[in-house]
Amino acid sequence: MSATATPAAPPLRGLRRAQAARRRRFFALAGALLLAGVALTLMAGQSFTPPLTVLRVLAGADVPGAGFTVLELRLPRAVVSVLAGLCFGLGGAAFQLLLRNPLASPDIIGISAGASAAAVFSIVVLGLSGATVSGIAVLAALGIAVAIWGLSWRDGVTGARLILVGIGLAAMAQSFTAFTLSRAPSWSLQEAMRWMTGSVNGAQLDQALPLLAALLVFGSALLARSGDLEALRMGDDMAAGLGLRPGRARAGVVIAAVGLVAGATAMVGPVAFVAFLSGPIAARLTGRDGPLLVPAALIGACLMLFGDFAGQHLLPARYPVGIVTGVLGAPYLVWLIVRTNRAGGGL
Amino acid sequence: MSTQTLEIRDLAAGYGGRRVLEGIDLALLPGRITAIVGANACGKSTLLRAMSRLLAPERGEVLLDGRAVHTLPPKALARRLGLLPQTPIAPEGLSVLDLVSRGRHPYQRLLGRWSAADEAAVARALDTTAMTDLAGRDLSELSGGQRQRAWIAMALAQETGVLLLDEPTTFLDISHQVEVLDLLTDLNRSRGTTIVMVLHDLNLAARYADRLVAMQGGRVHAEGPAEAVMTPQVLREVFGLEALVIPDPLSGRPMMIPRGRHRAGAPES
Repeated sequence: MSATATPAAPPLRGLRRAQAARRRRFFALAGALLLAGVALTLMAGQSFTPPLTVLRVLAGADVPGAGFTVLELRLPRAVVSVLAGLCFGLGGAAFQLLLRNPLASPDIIGISAGASAAAVFSIVVLGLSGATVSGIAVLAALGIAVAIWGLSWRDGVTGARLILVGIGLAAMAQSFTAFTLSRAPSWSLQEAMRWMTGSVNGAQLDQALPLLAALLVFGSALLARSGDLEALRMGDDMAAGLGLRPGRARAGVVIAAVGLVAGATAMVGPVAFVAFLSGPIAARLTGRDGPLLVPAALIGACLMLFGDFAGQHLLPARYPVGIVTGVLGAPYLVWLIVRTNRAGGGL
Repeated sequence: MSTQTLEIRDLAAGYGGRRVLEGIDLALLPGRITAIVGANACGKSTLLRAMSRLLAPERGEVLLDGRAVHTLPPKALARRLGLLPQTPIAPEGLSVLDLVSRGRHPYQRLLGRWSAADEAAVARALDTTAMTDLAGRDLSELSGGQRQRAWIAMALAQETGVLLLDEPTTFLDISHQVEVLDLLTDLNRSRGTTIVMVLHDLNLAARYADRLVAMQGGRVHAEGPAEAVMTPQVLREVFGLEALVIPDPLSGRPMMIPRGRHRAGAPES
């Protein structure tokens, strides 16, 4: 431990190599899972389509019987699941990192619920559709974010107060969604499920475009700020010392994360706990080496794919993906709350 | 990494209309160690915040090499002036290496790559602070003194000519306090870094700083070498403390011994 010990480069190089190797292992694993999830979604359904047939259909061959199911039913489902999962994972992890609290996920603190309520209102009451709905959902989610910030402001924002205010607003937004749906003229249970818990049932390829747009605009904006996000995690003073304008940097991260979560919610509904679970799972699997945003995005996509697959094929009845992810996320939420209380992390 | 001059002219600043600093004029010597001392709530941390741009001045200015720090682009400033706040937050599960690497944030461009210069700065910072062997450790596994060295290493990786530290020795055992101050002195000597720090312990401040700035009620009460500032009169005026000041037998620097009300007389028989 003396200051004049061996030159510093070799041990650092070893550490960096080990970190890079761990990251590579994670990306290999997550990539394989993602591929497996997509493959399962394309193959499984009311009838099983063998992998070779799926590949032939994707390559453009006209396979009677399989062509329609794979291209029209399952491919949109896989694409929408992946894109929405990436959005949820990125947005959720960004919130959790920024507020240094896994409970501060947008699906817990009402951002998703707000986006969902706005989407339902614009579809049911205003009769809108498509990109307009997405736009309104993003704006409403930003409004909710500002409201949470404003209501929990008291000489600064502390995590616990923000989370409680957010949970309150989430409940209000959810009851607004339920109320609007109950007044809707002829509303199917299927659609109701989508807006209450999230679902990719009946996914269309044209839903992929708004998702892709959200991912390109907000996702790249967020990734460009990943260094700022890492600096903000050490507190505003430290971030300022590292050359950031903390307020501005935080606003940038929040807007991008809200855009991602709201954009995805407007397409597939508030799929329960995908945003909430992706970051912590990615952190566990990567050993917290290096930036967490991209790993969380990949985990989000896997959660959507496998959650949907389980809901469709592994359970006695068919459930939308949000039910499955909800069941997965709830125990973790309970555990987190118990642990936080035990650690004395009150108000 | 040249030494840089930091000058404060007629500075007034505060929080939400409440003035904390009033009419501060101060030239900090380049390449030296300055300690800011004073009673609680005298404005010493606020002065440090104003010097590092965390707090905008209501009047006057802080000049770094003749340019007002509040008009410099934040990243450009962060390449010349480093700051270690009193209670930085250690993100969960962060390794020392990752923490120190973050000191290079002011040098990163959008979509820029981590360069050899970045890696060399990190390696140097770890070496200077004797943290290389602990680089792979999680921050939460370190002792208080080691953790403080890690934070200092991060500030070093920033490679600034000026380093501001807000009470870098609070919460540390006395041995770790001395270790941190020794480290900062090494740094000052080997790299010529101008160091400005808020310190609580007057004797350590007098021992380690080339100059002391004693603040009271948001103003600079006395400023100069320790011999000129650490006097019974200044201690009385700034801290309301009656004290004896004698040369420290090791360094010859002034050392103060509070009189207090008990056991202050010569032992009787």
